Amino acid sequence: MKEQDSIQSGRAGRIAALAGTGAKVGVNYLKHYARRAVGGSDDRASLDAANASDVYETFSRLKGGPLKLAQMLSIDRHLLPAAYADVFAQAQYSAPPLSYPLVVRTFRREFGRDPTEIFDTFCPSAAHGASIGQVHRASRDGHEYAVKVQYPGVADSLRSDLAVVKPIALQILGLRERDVAEYFREVEARLLEETDYALELQRSTDLSAACVHLPGIRFPGYYPELSSRRVLAMDWIDGQPLDKFADGSSSQAERDAIGQALWDFYAYQIHELHLFHADPHPGNFLITEGELAVLDFGCTKSIDAAFYRKQFAFLDPGLLDDRKRLIAALTDLEILLPDDSPAIREQLIDLCLTSLTLVARPFREGSFDFGDPEFMETIYNLGLENRNSGVLRSLRGSRGSPDSIYVNRAYFGLYSLLARLRARVTTPLPDWLSAGCAV
Amino acid sequence: MELRDRIIEATIHHLREHGTLPASVFRFCRDLEIDERAFFGQFPSFNAVESAFWGGTVDRVVHAVTSSETWSGFTARQRLLTFLFAYLEESLQHRSLLLNRVAPLRLLDQPLHLRGMTERYKIFARTILDHGISTGEIADRGHVGRLYPDALAVHLRSVLAFTLKDDSPRFERTDAYVEKTVNFAFDVVRTQAFDTAFDLLRFLAPRPTPAG
Repeated sequence: MKEQDSIQSGRAGRIAALAGTGAKVGVNYLKHYARRAVGGSDDRASLDAANASDVYETFSRLKGGPLKLAQMLSIDRHLLPAAYADVFAQAQYSAPPLSYPLVVRTFRREFGRDPTEIFDTFCPSAAHGASIGQVHRASRDGHEYAVKVQYPGVADSLRSDLAVVKPIALQILGLRERDVAEYFREVEARLLEETDYALELQRSTDLSAACVHLPGIRFPGYYPELSSRRVLAMDWIDGQPLDKFADGSSSQAERDAIGQALWDFYAYQIHELHLFHADPHPGNFLITEGELAVLDFGCTKSIDAAFYRKQFAFLDPGLLDDRKRLIAALTDLEILLPDDSPAIREQLIDLCLTSLTLVARPFREGSFDFGDPEFMETIYNLGLENRNSGVLRSLRGSRGSPDSIYVNRAYFGLYSLLARLRARVTTPLPDWLSAGCAV
Repeated sequence: MELRDRIIEATIHHLREHGTLPASVFRFCRDLEIDERAFFGQFPSFNAVESAFWGGTVDRVVHAVTSSETWSGFTARQRLLTFLFAYLEESLQHRSLLLNRVAPLRLLDQPLHLRGMTERYKIFARTILDHGISTGEIADRGHVGRLYPDALAVHLRSVLAFTLKDDSPRFERTDAYVEKTVNFAFDVVRTQAFDTAFDLLRFLAPRPTPAG
């Protein structure tokens, strides 16, 4: 991996870099308006794309918190125009490398020994980056390990990074603080969790033990004795990244199988465990020998049973025809508030009905072809409309539960992955809902 | 123990106990049961004694890192990082002394008592830079390049200043600081930035006024 040409150091440097981006985005807008003024052809999408690459360039140079933030925003297309989301999604492959001396230093501090004393071989350059660390390939007694090493001080600087980045990010992305306040809080909480490798080890071990019986999916083994707060050791898995597999020469049947494994994995976590891998981006999955390997449990989310019932009550196909029950469900989740005016209520209900009709379609149909480009397109466009909707923008305060963010994010990520795979998948309702329907 | 080492040890012990260098060579020599001639045969002053101590901290770490197997395969950048991380580790042994003797200083102060640290480090830095130049990692800039060791010496002081203020757990932020600043420095010497800055300074320097 090529080392970066310049590195932002210190708060001032970071702020300067971001401010620079703000200016650049401004210039792009000027071009956009100028073009429109002279009557030239102009499309909003090309402007977004130009801005997105400028913003991304800046974020990727900052690494750590801002990079992570870019990644997290990229997954929620309701928050970001599609062009931004596409460019930000690249972030997952672009983390810059830690120097080998610093890796050694980290090992000394965590274990009192050099990596080469612990392993028979330890590759000094990283095999690939992660947002807050990097992965080294190592071996011991003939066994291959993937060893994740965290950037030092990341946990410490995340909070201040986010504090610096937030207002500027809001401005350059044209988002309003109150629209995303809950979102940022959730993101920050998850990010801080993600810097704790001891916690990740625990969750990885637990979740993979709970899911290992699912067909078509596998998990690396984890090694507590070779791990610490800053170092995480697991099995090395050879495989193809999910997006490369999806875009490559794989057959429809192969893609269907991977898609099904992915669907079943999420269905089991969400509906049975109420604890799920909340970071479904392609970099976290490998395809190996026709099976899906799940790599990174840094970001998991647990939901309580009460919230689960409220949230997934929406999957009940009966709601679409029964306005009363829909209203009850929306009130339950505090999307509708008691003091909303009737006009707002109507608009919100209609909006939710439209979203629901669309988003829950795979569940209603029981099996679904995610290769249908129109489906994802419609979802993106709906997100775009919602973002630009005057009604939504005029609403005070946030609605719904912040927990919904991660459920939505997981499903959004899942749908995006399945769309990328062009997979045909069996998509049943969870048992408790399908039983209810049959009556 | 050799006389030189005994003097250093006793001086540093005094510094740790009292926070200052001994006030009187006479009393110091009496406690150590040596005569003043012996003391001055080794050192001209207590500042020189302390300077030798700090020089010794650099030499010990240089010796430790350069004698490791992996050293010869390292790039200049990796060598510098390895030294600095090792030096920080070593500095934990006498962090209180550093707090007393280095923390109050400004970055560009060059007090007598730290001269040994700076001088020994500059010599070592020169070998790293030469290695970098011989492999093409650092461009040879002739005269301008002669300033690099001085710049690195200031950098070392900035690292110490940073770690002495660092309150992150296990001083992790210092590691990040070292990594980032060294990367930055090597990026600067790889490009023309340093030359350009030097050229600008030369341009701005006061011109000699014409005679008459």
